[in-house]
Amino acid sequence: MSGFNDRVGTPLASAKQSSQFPVRWRILDAAERIAALIWPRSLYPYTGYLLLVPALLLVFVLVIGLVYIGGYSLHELDLSNYRLKESFSLTNYYTAFTSATYRTVLLRSIYASLLVTVITIFLAFPYAYLMVRARRAMTRKFLLISLFLPFFIGQIVRAYGWLIILGKEGLLNNIIGFFGFSPLKLIYNYPAVILGLVQYMLPFGVLLLAPAITAISRDVELASESLGAHWCRTFIHIVLPLAKPGLVGSSVVIFTLTLTDFAMPEILGGGTTDFIANSIYDGFFQLSNSGLGAALSMILVTLGTAFVVVIFSIAGTGTLGFSKGAE
Amino acid sequence: MSGSRSKATVLWAIVWFDLILLSLPTIIIFGASFTTGDIVQFPPEGFSLKWYSKLWLLDDFKAAFFRTFYVSLICTAVSIPAGTLAAIALSRYRIRFYTGLQVYLLLPFTIPLVVSGLGMMIFFGEIRILGQLWPVGIGLCIINLPFMIWAVSASVNGLDDQLENAAANCGAPPLQAFLTVTLPGVMPGVITGALLMFILAFNEFLVSLFLTDARIVTLPVSIYNSIRSVITPDLAAVSAVYIIIAFIAVLLLDKLVGLELFLKSK
Amino acid sequence: MNDKQRNNLNLTRRDFLATSAILAGGVMLAPGLAWAAQKKPKEIIVRAWGGSWGEALKAGVADGFSKATGIKVRLDFTEDNEIKPKIWAAVDQGRVPPIHVNWDTTTNATISALRGVTVDLSDLSNLKGLLPLAKPVGLEGYPLVNTYAYVYVCAYRTEAFPEGPPKSWNVLLDPKFKGRVALYDDGIGFNPISVIVGGGSFADIPDNMEPGYEFYRKLKANKPLLGEDADFTTWFQKGEIDLACTISVNARAAKQSGIDVAWTVPKEGCKVDTDGLWVPKGLPANEEYWAKEFINFALTRDAQQKWCSMLGLPPVFPGIDPPADLVGDVSYPTKPEDFEKLIRVPSKILVENQPKWFAKFNEIFQG
Repeated sequence: MSGFNDRVGTPLASAKQSSQFPVRWRILDAAERIAALIWPRSLYPYTGYLLLVPALLLVFVLVIGLVYIGGYSLHELDLSNYRLKESFSLTNYYTAFTSATYRTVLLRSIYASLLVTVITIFLAFPYAYLMVRARRAMTRKFLLISLFLPFFIGQIVRAYGWLIILGKEGLLNNIIGFFGFSPLKLIYNYPAVILGLVQYMLPFGVLLLAPAITAISRDVELASESLGAHWCRTFIHIVLPLAKPGLVGSSVVIFTLTLTDFAMPEILGGGTTDFIANSIYDGFFQLSNSGLGAALSMILVTLGTAFVVVIFSIAGTGTLGFSKGAE
Repeated sequence: MSGSRSKATVLWAIVWFDLILLSLPTIIIFGASFTTGDIVQFPPEGFSLKWYSKLWLLDDFKAAFFRTFYVSLICTAVSIPAGTLAAIALSRYRIRFYTGLQVYLLLPFTIPLVVSGLGMMIFFGEIRILGQLWPVGIGLCIINLPFMIWAVSASVNGLDDQLENAAANCGAPPLQAFLTVTLPGVMPGVITGALLMFILAFNEFLVSLFLTDARIVTLPVSIYNSIRSVITPDLAAVSAVYIIIAFIAVLLLDKLVGLELFLKSK
Repeated sequence: MNDKQRNNLNLTRRDFLATSAILAGGVMLAPGLAWAAQKKPKEIIVRAWGGSWGEALKAGVADGFSKATGIKVRLDFTEDNEIKPKIWAAVDQGRVPPIHVNWDTTTNATISALRGVTVDLSDLSNLKGLLPLAKPVGLEGYPLVNTYAYVYVCAYRTEAFPEGPPKSWNVLLDPKFKGRVALYDDGIGFNPISVIVGGGSFADIPDNMEPGYEFYRKLKANKPLLGEDADFTTWFQKGEIDLACTISVNARAAKQSGIDVAWTVPKEGCKVDTDGLWVPKGLPANEEYWAKEFINFALTRDAQQKWCSMLGLPPVFPGIDPPADLVGDVSYPTKPEDFEKLIRVPSKILVENQPKWFAKFNEIFQG
């Protein structure tokens, strides 16, 4: 604790300064007393939980929703009045598990999530790295603005932008046609959906990687490189492992968001590359079978949660949380 | 260092690819909004502002725009305290069932939006608050809350915890230490998170679809509905308006706090 | 139903007679006394399909209704499938539903009627004298009223068919059109046809759909696009497809925007179906009254004429001439012999089987 005073920064200094303002002192004192009254010292061990309450309550709204949905999933649809039957049954789960369609769609969603996660991180890492390490403030600002701007344009509109670019008579095919090649079919297929998703996830990836890269000391890299290591090796053996919190955080976010995505397959998939969220949508809305839609939802939520649990137990919570707290 | 040039080349090549990928749809939509024709296309047919003037004359558009703004404000206002406190709790306090809590707080991402939307529609309907605007803001806050928590966590992680200890050791009472040391320290994260929450709320259509009706429809929902029926260039004009707002917001943020803030974690 | 409500309804009915007298007298622009009994809402919300569909409803019905009553009509372009659970939840929870009138497919409307969320329309004065098509089949009274018929035609780009229109639906399998044919994303409109073109017969529906499924399996190799109403128009406009099974309205919209699109009824026939209007339960009495008045207005000769000729569809009001470009057109059946070329599956069979067909369709095309 010897070096304490050097480390105390401006915030404390400004706290000291405030002693010159007795009014503010008194208000703070009063607030402090009220706080102590509501939350006495004996409750201090629970302060952490108290701070969590608002967030927990908000998310609890989703849990309530899930309870309703879970309830629906246990009743079969009665086609004579389009209501769910009173009696409990596992028919919906049976249908979901035995249907080849849902298996295909589910596997397609999982595969796409893995693919999108890997591609996005591959593309996002250099972006985050250069943004953090940029020497000139202008470069950094340029990269930041380019990252934030597309964020403001929602998924649907961006998807529609891709339709204009990749369509049969779109920009790209015009260019191809200019060079005398026949137009290619670039949309309404799986690669188009993946492309749309990667584009959508890229800003999330960069933003989740950046803090982790910021935390890596530049000296470590320089040391490695000055010892003669090729930058590739430095990157793979030093930077990547140190950026693990960022990798974990961004993978979890990209994977779960892709797994549950609805808009990209709907708009860029041409109707034949549905993800599981599209099947859920169809169950609820097209088939009017809320029981089946609910069963598929429960399966998807279980799957996504299981994935998150596995990653968190293996690798910690990364940039989504704080490693110290976990230990 | 001979490697540094090849390093820069490779990294920048990927980043330029990223930049094109990120901005291409934006540029295309922006360009297409100036067409004189009736079909969204690029390059646009001629140049005119007719789709903008058409938009401006549309009362429905203006009303939907302000509603979206209101909803996004509520979303941001609720998420700032909820997300900040949760992030501080998770990173500064000993919490049992830490991983479990993290998994719980990620539910907004693991539950598909269709299901979240339906669930909230039923619940909000049950407690008779459906049909008003503010619950839409709450709903959007819930489904994007992990972003807020994460943004703040990132800056709490960067904050030196000795600082708070020091404050406490110097006799600062807990509330004061929190207000004068912890809170300013996480401010960059709060600002980043708030901006994200606002943007995401401004664009969300699927959950909003279930929580609004024709009387209180918001912009993303009406975009979604119109894209499914017929696509005219006024849609591109709406998007261009979004882009302009985005630009202003980012510049404003830069002026107020500096974009750099959010990259500094130490 | 308690007594108070019943009185209320009686009152409504009495007003109704008065109203219809005025309507019959042709003094529609003088709503005056009889209508004053029911407080006018500022606006009523009608769910509609967008694009050329919504424009037709606005110009044909909504504008006239507003002019006659002073009530604003707001069109809500929420998708038909998406409004369904919203209305159902509202009725189940005893809340006021989000719309006043739903413009819906007869099948979906029948499902909502079976679920018991629709208001009975039997007392509408303009029901008398309509074609039998207006009456929903297999349901008691009028939980909905059909307003016109439409045909899922075989629409094609004339450029792609220099030798004249396709003769058979088998053309969908032609490798020449790989990736350039389109169906609805649930197979609606093509489900009964697929059975016949697949070698079965009308009698096979709904018990033996296998020939249809077999056809779908072959069709899958030709990589069809699957979409909704607006997609077809857009796809034709952007040159994405050559051939589609779609409602004639969408093909006509593409044609009217200058695209070279024509349509035909191949030898196996086309599916004919109806759309209708209905009012959800749970509205305040006066709003329900005016919602029903809206439907009543949509059934007048004038509204039917304008609305349906814009759509290019045969109305349920008898004796209205088709629009000039559709005289003698296959997509505009009026005479019994026109209907003979078309296939009409009773709503009851559709309601009970469509979910299974959709599921199977999905299984084949998503698998």
